[in-house]
Amino acid sequence: MISMTKKRFREKTLPAAIMVGPVTLWLILLVAVPLIYILVMSFCSIDEFYNVTFHFTVDNYKHLADASYIKIYVQSLVIALLTTVICILVAYPFTYIIARTKSRFKSLLYMLVIIPFWTNSLIRIYGWKSFLGTSGWLNSVLMKLHIISQPLDLLFKQGTTVFGMVYCLFPFMVLPLYTAIGKLDSTLLEASSDLGAKGWKTFLTVVLPLTASGIFSGCIMVFIPCLGYFFVSNILGGGNSDVIGNLIERQFKSGNNWPLGAALSIILIVITLVLVKLYQKTGGDMDSLGV
Amino acid sequence: MGRKARLRTKSVFGKILCGIVYIVLFLPIAVVVVNSFNATTSKPYLTWKGFTFDWYFKLFDNTSLLTAFGNTMIIALVTTILATIIGTLGAIGMYKYKFKGKSVIDGLLYIPVVIPEIVMGISLLTVFAKVSIPRGMLTLIIAHVTFCVPYVIFNVRARLSGYDISIEEASMDLGANRFRTFWEVTLPVLKPGITAGALLAFTLSIDDVIISYFVNGNTMTYPLQVMASIKSGVAPDVNALSSLILVGTIIFVILTQGNLFKKKMS
Amino acid sequence: MMRYGKRVMSVMLSLALLGTSVSLTGCGSSKKAENGELNLFIWTEYVPDSVISDFEKEYGIKVNVSTFSSNEDMLAKVKSEDEGTYDIVQPSDYMVESMIKQGMLEKLDQDALTNLSNIGKQYLDPSYDPGNVYSVPYQGGVAAIGVNTDKVKTDIKGYKDLFDGSLKGQIVALDDYRAVIGMTERSMGLSMNETDKSQLSKVSDKLLTLKDNIAVYDSDSPKSSLISGDCNVSYCWAAEIALAMEENSAIKIVFPEEGAYKFIDNWAISKGAKNFDNAMKFINYMCDDKVAGKVIEEFPYLNVNEKAVAANKDYSENEAKNIPADVFEKGEFVTNLDTDTLKVYNDMWNKLKN
Repeated sequence: MISMTKKRFREKTLPAAIMVGPVTLWLILLVAVPLIYILVMSFCSIDEFYNVTFHFTVDNYKHLADASYIKIYVQSLVIALLTTVICILVAYPFTYIIARTKSRFKSLLYMLVIIPFWTNSLIRIYGWKSFLGTSGWLNSVLMKLHIISQPLDLLFKQGTTVFGMVYCLFPFMVLPLYTAIGKLDSTLLEASSDLGAKGWKTFLTVVLPLTASGIFSGCIMVFIPCLGYFFVSNILGGGNSDVIGNLIERQFKSGNNWPLGAALSIILIVITLVLVKLYQKTGGDMDSLGV
Repeated sequence: MGRKARLRTKSVFGKILCGIVYIVLFLPIAVVVVNSFNATTSKPYLTWKGFTFDWYFKLFDNTSLLTAFGNTMIIALVTTILATIIGTLGAIGMYKYKFKGKSVIDGLLYIPVVIPEIVMGISLLTVFAKVSIPRGMLTLIIAHVTFCVPYVIFNVRARLSGYDISIEEASMDLGANRFRTFWEVTLPVLKPGITAGALLAFTLSIDDVIISYFVNGNTMTYPLQVMASIKSGVAPDVNALSSLILVGTIIFVILTQGNLFKKKMS
Repeated sequence: MMRYGKRVMSVMLSLALLGTSVSLTGCGSSKKAENGELNLFIWTEYVPDSVISDFEKEYGIKVNVSTFSSNEDMLAKVKSEDEGTYDIVQPSDYMVESMIKQGMLEKLDQDALTNLSNIGKQYLDPSYDPGNVYSVPYQGGVAAIGVNTDKVKTDIKGYKDLFDGSLKGQIVALDDYRAVIGMTERSMGLSMNETDKSQLSKVSDKLLTLKDNIAVYDSDSPKSSLISGDCNVSYCWAAEIALAMEENSAIKIVFPEEGAYKFIDNWAISKGAKNFDNAMKFINYMCDDKVAGKVIEEFPYLNVNEKAVAANKDYSENEAKNIPADVFEKGEFVTNLDTDTLKVYNDMWNKLKN
């Protein structure tokens, strides 16, 4: 009997503890604890010096149900939705090509998607700003070529923010799609066309369902960060197209109301959880998130 | 005949699409590279005043920028190594074993991915301050590992989903011990997932601004230095360093490229 | 497969070695401290590096610099760090007052401030710190209006003209709720620190008429939009306008007739500072007229060091940098709002921006 438990310990419990222990500890100490802290803070209020004081209140949440805030939540969701749709429309055909190419540069093509992201993102966003500006490269070239006579007004619009978001989050759509499309079995596609299916039909009945998991995890990985990427809307949107992240940032920085910012964070986390639940409902595989 | 022509137009369209995507991906970097040769010395650094290599020399006098860059590299590497080890072990463990509270840990994994960085930064700083861990390199690494581990786990798991545990049993039946089985059977199968996770962790770590801002103490990192310099317009020496990093990246890719070619043949 | 991994590892390892060596040479160049250390927590781009290294050489004190980009950032970080992490902080006027009330600052050693006589009288004994018990002024400024006279033909005299319908989509404004709301209040003849609810609802309505005029909110580098031509009018710090004027001579500065939003940034010593004496040496050093002269050469802000200002003609005659005394006199500091009013201001700001 004793040797049985000992054996069990040696073969199951010990390796499990060694493998799962570090990550469990890490997550509890550095993710769960801070999160609980934020949750508690969201029910606090501030004193005359804007310090967080532990005095239970639901005022923060009541305050955030105001119409002016709801408008921003909706605006964020619209920006995130547009970004996600554009990412799918561009990334899907693009990834399909680079994932199924027979070229000897296949791996290089893949690396070329990641390389730009090794340059600081703030610098790249500033690069776009100086490219798109009134006296930026684009306008200078177009005017030199006499294609336009007046500089185009491209910056500081909601569209510019969406563009910046698409730019920043594009690889998060490409990576899961690349995995999903890479797993496609060529023989299946051949079989489908052998059976007389037209290109489009093969795509809709075979390819799309098989790669749907990649699309779904890509959507989650693009949509959710969009709600929080305040620096993109600050720099390219000129502060005119706020997302929830801007609101949170403002409360923690200039707004001085940390509990309100914490409550906003909780709202963002709830939105996220709802989306993730939806994702699971559609049969989404949680494990392929972040790939 | 008609079909062939269609295929050809399709492939032309495909090439154009890919071309546009790559151009868009690299365009702001081209702006950065060109601006690093701008001879202007007046503050927003916007107007073109002629071509110069000066900034590349001045860069090496800017010790604070170089130190910050060195710190970023050290943090990114240590973070990548730690996050990869913890994440890989965790992913395998969670795949193989059932235990109480597994779903809770599963849920916690998604928090660093979705929580706003600013919230994570502030809450981590508060925790570090409460247990008085001195802020600096150490806290930066701890914070970076925290947001990188989930990405490593997701990547390794993706690989695991098609993994057949019975090959491990077979290996042990053949007399290999647990460690050897792990090293020679499990790891090679998971390698693409681990490499992808490590790559992503590295990418996330070298680019992080917001969380680093809160937990850095007196240690500056390269993105923090960039953030500070943006107030006066991105300085050309920052652009010069970014260009050098890009060149370094390309060298990195070329060094590993021999294998990149081979990979597709297998 | 294995070979691929090995190669990646070897490249990563060499990168690590490179990184380490780079950071070590960085550390190696800073010489040893004979007389201890000094930890500064200061605004980004606000104190010349050369001044700090001169101080290190002269006094044999090793200076560590950390930077922040808003008073609130600074406050949050000082509060969450252990006491004594920073010796010197650099709060603005209203933040000095708040930090004094919260007991976050040390009283200065007045005897050590031998250079204080260089500072202009009008900047001393301020409302936020009577008698300069806790703080010494460094640099300041006002929020003024920059106009590209090539593009804008309307005559702009004050804050009220920023609401003119002809400026639709042409203004770059500070991304700062106190600055923008305060400007609106001044344009209506109110205080920037108005707390009366009925007045504030009028301010809120007025603010919405500004909405279409503002193209960009930018506190980091508003001059960039003005210089690049993305915007023709700016509501931002005079120093930013001064830099824009150097790039484009058509850009002019207008000091608002209603009286401007003004600020002074100060040197102060944070509670529990470990290097109090070194901090006093540093503050006094910064009040030296030759040192201030170097600051003037590098930064376009209003310098409080009268002696240094008088010695630099280029600077003292440039009104965008050396803001005229009557303009500064007529300006108003922001003060801390009570929490209820703070909420009203925040909500106004949300409505304006969305």
